[in-house]
Amino acid sequence: MPVDRYTCDEAFERLNDFLDRELSAEEMALVRQHLETCADCTREFAFESSVLDTLKSKLRRIDLPQSLIEKIRAALSGPRHREP
Amino acid sequence: MAEAPAPVQVSTVTDPAVSPQRTLDELLLPVLERAYGLALRLTRNPADAEDIVQDAALAAARGFATFRQGTNFKAWFFQILTNCFYTRHRRGRARADLSLEDVPDLYLFDRAEELGLHRSVPDPARELLRRIDREQIDEALQRLPAEFRTVSALYLIEDLSYAEIAEILKLPVGTVRSRLHRGRKLLQQHLWRIAVDAGLVADRPRAEDG
Repeated sequence: MPVDRYTCDEAFERLNDFLDRELSAEEMALVRQHLETCADCTREFAFESSVLDTLKSKLRRIDLPQSLIEKIRAALSGPRHREP
Repeated sequence: MAEAPAPVQVSTVTDPAVSPQRTLDELLLPVLERAYGLALRLTRNPADAEDIVQDAALAAARGFATFRQGTNFKAWFFQILTNCFYTRHRRGRARADLSLEDVPDLYLFDRAEELGLHRSVPDPARELLRRIDREQIDEALQRLPAEFRTVSALYLIEDLSYAEIAEILKLPVGTVRSRLHRGRKLLQQHLWRIAVDAGLVADRPRAEDG
């Protein structure tokens, strides 16, 4: 028989997969449906989602050393590694 | 220099934006910054990261004939990059740390609760992490065991799907999922400890911290 709604435990088991958009459309809908009616789970999901978003935004910026670009260009233009 | 990895298989992740018959230079330069960022998170220091990226670039040049034009070059190159990392750091490819089972769910959520953030601010996670700078987040990531660090870096920095990470690392999707979820819990604990050690937050003793 198909599941028509998730309990808190069933929703929480899917927290990470939900945040990573790795659930099926049906499971995503069931989690959303649960969150619409459960304030406690909504707080937990929102917290974890915000943690991931904040970590991603803080980790994305990296300054590529110009010297590395030059070293790689030089290495790739060497006779042994030149493309045919 | 580390021995070049065996040529990788052609990626099955398609990238329709890539036009046919592009040269290695054209494909490589746009992904170098991301590649260096990943290498930095894997190796933990800039000099080693540069070496890994150079190794990968040379390996890519040698194996470029195996790259299928029109498929996802970044996934292909990152696969070479992680192979180069493991070639240089074989000892780092240790088994997963089983003590991760001890990290409870919602670790930072509960710490935010103790600080009263859930009652005082609209976004307690952002408020908590606002106190922790990028270098400290990097430090927390670098404290993860190599296998967890690799999947976590690919996820957090590149926002790849489990299937894409699995393809790059040649792992089953279930293994990626498990490492990512467990690594995420451990990362939260490391972040908290770094924040406590830096005096950014006040801690109080609890059982799971020993």
